[in-house]
Amino acid sequence: VFTPSVQTTGLVGLAVAENPHERLRILYTKILGVLQNIPKDAAYRKYTEQIVNQRFSLVQAETDVQKLQDKLNSGHIEEVIVQAENELSLARKMLQWKPWEPLVEEPPSDQWRWPI
Amino acid sequence: TVRPKNEVEHKQLCAFGEYVAEILPKYIQQVQVTCFNELELMIHPDGIIPVLTFLRDHTNAQFKSLADLTAVDVPSRQYRFEIVYNLLSLRFNSRIRVKTYTDELTPIDSAVSVHKAANWYEREVWDMYGVFFANHPDLRRILTDYGFEGHPFRKDFPLSGYVEV
Repeated sequence: VFTPSVQTTGLVGLAVAENPHERLRILYTKILGVLQNIPKDAAYRKYTEQIVNQRFSLVQAETDVQKLQDKLNSGHIEEVIVQAENELSLARKMLQWKPWEPLVEEPPSDQWRWPI
Repeated sequence: TVRPKNEVEHKQLCAFGEYVAEILPKYIQQVQVTCFNELELMIHPDGIIPVLTFLRDHTNAQFKSLADLTAVDVPSRQYRFEIVYNLLSLRFNSRIRVKTYTDELTPIDSAVSVHKAANWYEREVWDMYGVFFANHPDLRRILTDYGFEGHPFRKDFPLSGYVEV
């Protein structure tokens, strides 16, 4: 039975996470696995790997949850978990959309001119 | 009195604009930062869902809130309607504007799958301008009367309308 040291997160709909380090470790390894399938020169892969490795190293270095939250500086640890889940789903969708390819179609020359 | 120029914020927005343009070169046609420090992203219409999902889900972006969805009618252009999405990031306290284009007959992907808030905004754009949104769960009139014909916000729609009241 999980008895959290903090009673609630204070946020509606977010339960206190038991073992956040394990959950984040799993999510970050999954994200890095998905990123391996993207071409190495794609900017998305470069920047996301940078972010994920940075957060991963902080998670592995710091075992206390409060101190980890302060170091990550990104809200509650449960919010960090939600953000990692979002990044994972985004990485999977990016594999299909392939946004690193060159521009699909140039706009007509007067399209973005303002004033007309 | 004149609003003082915030150079730091301007530089940060320019840097973020370049960051997004580097990650999504397939869809982004132009990026600009206005003199009032508003970042605008000009998109090809195929890229609405990828770009909006990226801005919502990416760790450095997190634009979770769709503040507004409107259209602008510029009849002299080939693609007369310009669809505008205003997004707000609560984590970073920052706003961004995403713009696309379409004409009267080409449908545009609905943003409802990315932001639930887009539902009524897209109904309003359909009702007022006649822009069709593909994959919208319930696209019907929202502001005009039940048997109303025409799209009132178009520039060629007269001010007093066609029907006498």
